[in-house]
Amino acid sequence: MSINEKFTAIRKGLLEFLVLKIIAADKVYAADILSQLGSTEFATQEGTLYPLLSKMRREELVDYEWKESEAGPPRKYYQLTAKGREQLRDTADYWRKISGTVKSLGQDISP
Amino acid sequence: MNKVITINLNGNAYQLEEDGYEALRAYLEAAARGLSGNPDKDEIIADIEQAIADKFRAFLGANKTVVVAKEVKDVIAQMGPVQDDSGPAAGAAGQGAPGGGPAANPGAAAGAPKRLYRIREGAQLAGVCNGLAAYFGIDVTLIRILFAVCVLSFGAGVLLYIVMMFVIPAANTPEEMAAAQGIPATAEDFIKRAKEGYYGGMKTFGDRRAFKEWKRQFKRDMRQNAHQWHQRWAGWGPPHPGAWAFGSLAGIILSALTLLCVFSVISLILTGGVLGFFPPFGMPLWLAVILTIIAFKLIKWPFRVMRYGGAYYGGYDRPMGPFPCLWWHSFGWLLLVLLFFWFADHHWVEAHDIMHRLGHAAHRTVDAIREWWDQQ
Repeated sequence: MSINEKFTAIRKGLLEFLVLKIIAADKVYAADILSQLGSTEFATQEGTLYPLLSKMRREELVDYEWKESEAGPPRKYYQLTAKGREQLRDTADYWRKISGTVKSLGQDISP
Repeated sequence: MNKVITINLNGNAYQLEEDGYEALRAYLEAAARGLSGNPDKDEIIADIEQAIADKFRAFLGANKTVVVAKEVKDVIAQMGPVQDDSGPAAGAAGQGAPGGGPAANPGAAAGAPKRLYRIREGAQLAGVCNGLAAYFGIDVTLIRILFAVCVLSFGAGVLLYIVMMFVIPAANTPEEMAAAQGIPATAEDFIKRAKEGYYGGMKTFGDRRAFKEWKRQFKRDMRQNAHQWHQRWAGWGPPHPGAWAFGSLAGIILSALTLLCVFSVISLILTGGVLGFFPPFGMPLWLAVILTIIAFKLIKWPFRVMRYGGAYYGGYDRPMGPFPCLWWHSFGWLLLVLLFFWFADHHWVEAHDIMHRLGHAAHRTVDAIREWWDQQ
């Protein structure tokens, strides 16, 4: 089992956190999110992202507004709600805790 | 030569080769199946169609008006299978460790689990009724009335109250307070978080870039918190006008009763009786004083409920009312005290006597202290 496969579940769990982070940084539309994720280990396809975004909207973490684009039809631009920001902060706290644990437990693995 | 099929993707017409059309139809059908039961199914399908249309447009130009089968298959491969793990029936929900994962932990926002605690803030005795009221979301007055009824029926309420007083823990920390009310611990949580951020920043002092990054993050957090607090306070609005007047009236009566209680105790100590009433022969003075205080507590009780149950005690972290309201209260208190003393001194022989004697007692005390001081 490759490392890539072993971390499938972790990547999947972290995706929402990353999407929250990306949307928090700037108003984006779905293709922006995909291209930002594309160059990373978290490269994602529309088939995964759209249901995730709609779930996040249902949970009132994100909201979108239609905006005209220069080329083609209007696009949905996503932004965080207050609840989404709160969740992002909480998740970031938790993430810091986890990475602190990974760093501090057992043998020092820092290069 | 291949047959071409024209399709409508989210309001745009595209011409696909027949093989490509079949592949796309299969993909969208599978997507629809995968999303069955998802309340946003139609919207997600529309989004996906739109994304496919965007990708098709990149292949098309002035001299190319048809999307060939291979291109359709490439686009489908790019899109990836439509995965919906948001539904409540999804298998992922069962696998998720309890309380783990960012999705399963929507912060304290939605519904922090409620726990039964005694809440001393605004309590009459040990906060049992207050805690029960917060736990069940019922007005505390109702619970107190229920308890009072229980007390009248052969003291069952007293026993129940004492048992609960010892069994139910008091909410002391902010977290417990929040759990008792089922709301997130706000101010304290915020301060805790700020502290954590502060210590995090201290660790980065060696690294300039990390420190800068931390500083930026910290500032942003602060701004967000300030904004949230602002919204919270704005959301409460002013207390109900009727409740305000009601609370003020109760406040005045409470003040008067407190004064009366103090006077009664002083009179009891100095004259051995209250306004002509004397405790039964043989009762020690300390017991009489305690009984007097308890009697006044009982009289004051409904007024306290009236005052704090309505406008003023709205919840754990709720402001106690706007500034002028609080100011008015303290000012009214002072005025009433002065008025009472003045009235008692002029129109009430016993009170005049007591004050007179109090004056003498004060003189004697001052003299005693002076004498003691001179001897040193």
